[in-house]
Amino acid sequence: MQRRTLLKAGLALGALGSLPLGAHRAFADESLTFYGLKSMSGAFASYGKYADMGSRLAIAEYPQLLGHPLTYKVIDTEGNAGKAVRKVQEAIGQDGARFFQGCTLSSSALAVSKEIHKAGGVFMTPVGADEITGKDCNSSTFRWSVPTYGAIRETLIPMIRQLPQAKRWYTITPQYVFGDALLDNARKVFAEFGVEHIGNSYHSLQEQEFSGYLTNAIAAKPDVLVLLNFGSQASNALRQAVNFGIKDRMHVLMVWSAGLDQFQELGSDMLEGAYLGAQYWHQVDTPLNQQLVAATQKAYGINPNYPLAADYIGTKVMLEAIVKAGSLDGAAVSAALQGMRFQGPTGEELIRPGDHQVLKDYYLLRGKAQGQMRDEDDLAEVISSGRSFVELDHTGCTLA
Amino acid sequence: MSEKNPLPVAKGRAPALLLLVLVSLVALPLVLPSATLATEILIFALAALACNLLLGYTGLLSFGQGIFFGVGAYGAALLMIHLHWGLFAALLGAALFGAVLALLVGALAIRRKGIYFVMLTLAFSQMAYFLAYTLSGWTGGDNGLLDVPRPNIEIAGHVLVDLSDPRHFYAFVAVLFVLIFAGALRVIRSPFGSTLLAIRENETRAAAIGYDVRHFKILVFMLSGAITGIAGALYAMLLHFAPLSNIDLMMSENILIMTIVGGTGSLFGSLLGAGAIVVLGDVLSELWPRWLMLLGAILILVVVFMRGGLWGGLADLSKRLLPSRSAEAKAAAKTKETL
Repeated sequence: MQRRTLLKAGLALGALGSLPLGAHRAFADESLTFYGLKSMSGAFASYGKYADMGSRLAIAEYPQLLGHPLTYKVIDTEGNAGKAVRKVQEAIGQDGARFFQGCTLSSSALAVSKEIHKAGGVFMTPVGADEITGKDCNSSTFRWSVPTYGAIRETLIPMIRQLPQAKRWYTITPQYVFGDALLDNARKVFAEFGVEHIGNSYHSLQEQEFSGYLTNAIAAKPDVLVLLNFGSQASNALRQAVNFGIKDRMHVLMVWSAGLDQFQELGSDMLEGAYLGAQYWHQVDTPLNQQLVAATQKAYGINPNYPLAADYIGTKVMLEAIVKAGSLDGAAVSAALQGMRFQGPTGEELIRPGDHQVLKDYYLLRGKAQGQMRDEDDLAEVISSGRSFVELDHTGCTLA
Repeated sequence: MSEKNPLPVAKGRAPALLLLVLVSLVALPLVLPSATLATEILIFALAALACNLLLGYTGLLSFGQGIFFGVGAYGAALLMIHLHWGLFAALLGAALFGAVLALLVGALAIRRKGIYFVMLTLAFSQMAYFLAYTLSGWTGGDNGLLDVPRPNIEIAGHVLVDLSDPRHFYAFVAVLFVLIFAGALRVIRSPFGSTLLAIRENETRAAAIGYDVRHFKILVFMLSGAITGIAGALYAMLLHFAPLSNIDLMMSENILIMTIVGGTGSLFGSLLGAGAIVVLGDVLSELWPRWLMLLGAILILVVVFMRGGLWGGLADLSKRLLPSRSAEAKAAAKTKETL
């Protein structure tokens, strides 16, 4: 290559920095834009669709906010953490975005929360990763869903109490951070209540065939089989367990179910008699939940499910905090959210100031027989509900 | 293994090609909605360029490019987080990690040809993914490696360029891209590059002439690994984050698709392919949740109707639009032959 060519190249690139690269930056207008981070395409598109519906319901309640017309913009995270971060960076850099709600994947939420925190924004998410209100917590990020600790305690302990004859428990666990967190918490509960943990089968992240693990479980002759996986893996494990006739031999508990949409997919034949942990259930009798069910049925003709409810309340609480702060400043809105009490789908809920975790109920449900169902969504009944959260000094969060 | 190079880089075209790259790099952030998107395109163009050295110039279809991309991302991130290495040292580290790992993968995979080579790279790719997944203490596992810094360009503690500004980071990545592009151009126009083409065209004949084919393949594998490692490191710096998806099979597939769509055997095609796939992904995902099916259809169309990829398609188009000039050239050549 000629030296002259290289010199020309260097000069041209040097000029790049001075070009008006921000030519597309939108001029600040009077409207306030709220950003929904939803997996509208890719592997988690079905989740993102309902989450988006929930956010839109909440936005519709606030045509104006502090005198500004409120607009809503969806950022499609594509179920890809890298894409989610890049699009959030763009929204912050190009549009001055400050208020974000959503995310399906824990990895996306963790990375996005860092970007939003750096920009001085506010972010509320329903993801499962305990780190988001643990060691990776920050002053801008808030989490609505119950962590693994609460999910385990609010499902295992009521079952242990209701089934005193069930002394032998077997677990099937996905071998990654989330699964291990559930398993660690389950082992603590077993030890605390003198229940025998007779075995555990680990499976990989991509496993969809569980017959080997189920055979091991049958051979161990447990009283309760605990599924610590979630999503399609939990659905497939339950389906295969039912096909193996496991429900006739032992009780089955799915600790972290996805709620109504997963139950609709499984159907009552699979769910009947199975115990199911859930973050949200549309039949819970609380004032806000009644409003939410009515609004969802009016707007979409369906009952709300977990992603819809989670993103509805996440969006609504952030909008309420903006009003409470009387400011569009991220720090002021974060401060308003800290310690805020509000009517949520599970009753009165509280944002704990020390780690920004929303304190709310977790449910233990039991699948109904088809003959007991009052409508097609009446797939389960609430057996118990309650709140269990790690003490602040054990979360690893250093906000307090 | 690959389609034959439809557009071999002719002698004397390098300056024109470099000028085309420069114009494209200046235009990208002006045409696109953000410098961040433009940066992502350049980073994937680097990865596709490295893949092109294997697929387009040596005929090696590797499903292992995600390994080097991921290792570059994790390697640079860990060096910056734990050892507080600066920008250039971290990039060099990423290149080294990529090259060394390519040496290890290449030394085993290149012992086999054709489908067996492909399957070996696929197996290594799966192994690397589960290794990264298992070593969550280092890689963050499923949650990814967070808090990856993007160091500034500094001399003796004085900040020369603040790379936290997306525009500055784009300019930095653009400079790196031009340097690597020029270097790759130089390589493929060298005797080494001619040997690679000879291997691609007829490996047995190249060996019969006396070339140590395995040696050449490992060298180009290492070169490709180093460049892909740099791309991975830049991606981690762009996102301040190294997701597990960097090292999964899907990443290898994406890099391959960008290479094929852009045009195998064309370095500039790598930029076209990366640009097309990244921008199409953004546009199509807003149109239809199952947009990956559309992407699949586009790939089929390109493979069936544009065997030289977008670059080949553009060349064909320019020939059709400028028939008189090519006809004139043919006529002139004929006259010359007659004379």
